Amino acid sequence: MHSFLNRLKNFAILAAAQVLLFNHIHLFGYATAYIYLLFILKMPRFATRNEQMLWAFALGLIVDMFGNTPGINAAAATMLAFMRNYILAMFIPNGMTEDFVPGTKVLRWGAYISYAAISITLFCIVLFMLELFTLTRPMHLAIGVAGSTLLTLLFVTVIESFNKGSR
Amino acid sequence: MRALFNFLVKHNDWFLFLLLEGISLVLIVRFNNYQSATFFTSAGSMAGSVYSMFMDANRYFHLKTENDGLLAQNVALTRELSQLKEQLTELRNSETLLNDSLVKSIDSGYRFLTANIINNSLNSVNNFITLNKGSDDGVRPEMGVFNSDGIVGVVYLTSKNRSIVIPLLNSKSSISCRVKGSESFCSLSWDGGDTRYSNLIDLPRYAQFEKGDTVVTSGFSSIFPGDLPVGTVERIEDSADGMFYTVRVKLFVDFSRLTSVFIVGNDDYEEQSQLEQEITKILK
Repeated sequence: MHSFLNRLKNFAILAAAQVLLFNHIHLFGYATAYIYLLFILKMPRFATRNEQMLWAFALGLIVDMFGNTPGINAAAATMLAFMRNYILAMFIPNGMTEDFVPGTKVLRWGAYISYAAISITLFCIVLFMLELFTLTRPMHLAIGVAGSTLLTLLFVTVIESFNKGSR
Repeated sequence: MRALFNFLVKHNDWFLFLLLEGISLVLIVRFNNYQSATFFTSAGSMAGSVYSMFMDANRYFHLKTENDGLLAQNVALTRELSQLKEQLTELRNSETLLNDSLVKSIDSGYRFLTANIINNSLNSVNNFITLNKGSDDGVRPEMGVFNSDGIVGVVYLTSKNRSIVIPLLNSKSSISCRVKGSESFCSLSWDGGDTRYSNLIDLPRYAQFEKGDTVVTSGFSSIFPGDLPVGTVERIEDSADGMFYTVRVKLFVDFSRLTSVFIVGNDDYEEQSQLEQEITKILK
């Protein structure tokens, strides 16, 4: 029960940060940081896939409601939640059997950043493809995906190092 | 049967995945539909009220620039008013036939409302602006939106107390414009990227204009009155097929600093659009 409330708190904080702050920051007109992905990245290793997808869908939908993009963030976040366990499995050290929250306390920096980078790239590709559905501008897609992925990864790294420092 | 049941249970995460993605896709497709429900947007009650709260606080920080802009517009309008009054007296005295039609055009036509912006996106190819006025205040789709610098966009859908605007910075936006001083008109459309620029496409090659000229609304669509400022000509290029000019336009409106706007509606608009729809039907 305690962990549920804790998760709800993180959910609210990340949703608010995304819609009130990060959605309004766009570097060079292309790159936006999707900071709310931290919620999915920080799901415990043994969280069930259904659980992850339902949380991700709800969070994506709220971001959509505030950004006038109904369904787009929800679809991309659900996709990421569906794939996350596969991605995380690539970076779990040999012999590790217990449950953990992905982060630099457990994983090496390189492993954590790679895990985050692959996840965020996947999310951004799906997001921008859905957004540009009607447009045939491959350059916009490429710049948008690359810019947003790098910016999100930058924030994820900064937040991780702060988290580590405070412990 | 049992095998099928086992299969469903074993792969229940796949079905949840398909279900959630299905719901998302329905939402994506439905929002493109003009008559879509407004609940899942920032005009809906939930997101709308949160935005209103934050925007009320935010507005205080922009009061000074906002005031300066309004003051400048006030001075310009006062000057224009006195000029028009002079012209009107002259015309009254001259007793020409023009007299009647002039008075008529002043009386007929456009209604104006003011509204505050409660949400504004810039980071997508299809940006939207949310206003704090809705159908109860007399806002309806297809009304024009502008501020003291120039035009901003067109109202797309309205709920009771809020409305969503398609700004110039939306790939679906298309506004009838012309370069001041030339008669040929064309449409202004945005292709993503830099939020300070937009493009005039398919401008006839015989149009006479040069870099730095002002682009204004044509007034043909009856969404906007004619001659509202839009931007200045920044660069002139040939279109892909070489038959037209494509003009890069530097927009007057700074979309990152918008706080309040005017909404303009033409009372004759419905009549005009009905007529236009009928003729399209006949020609089909």
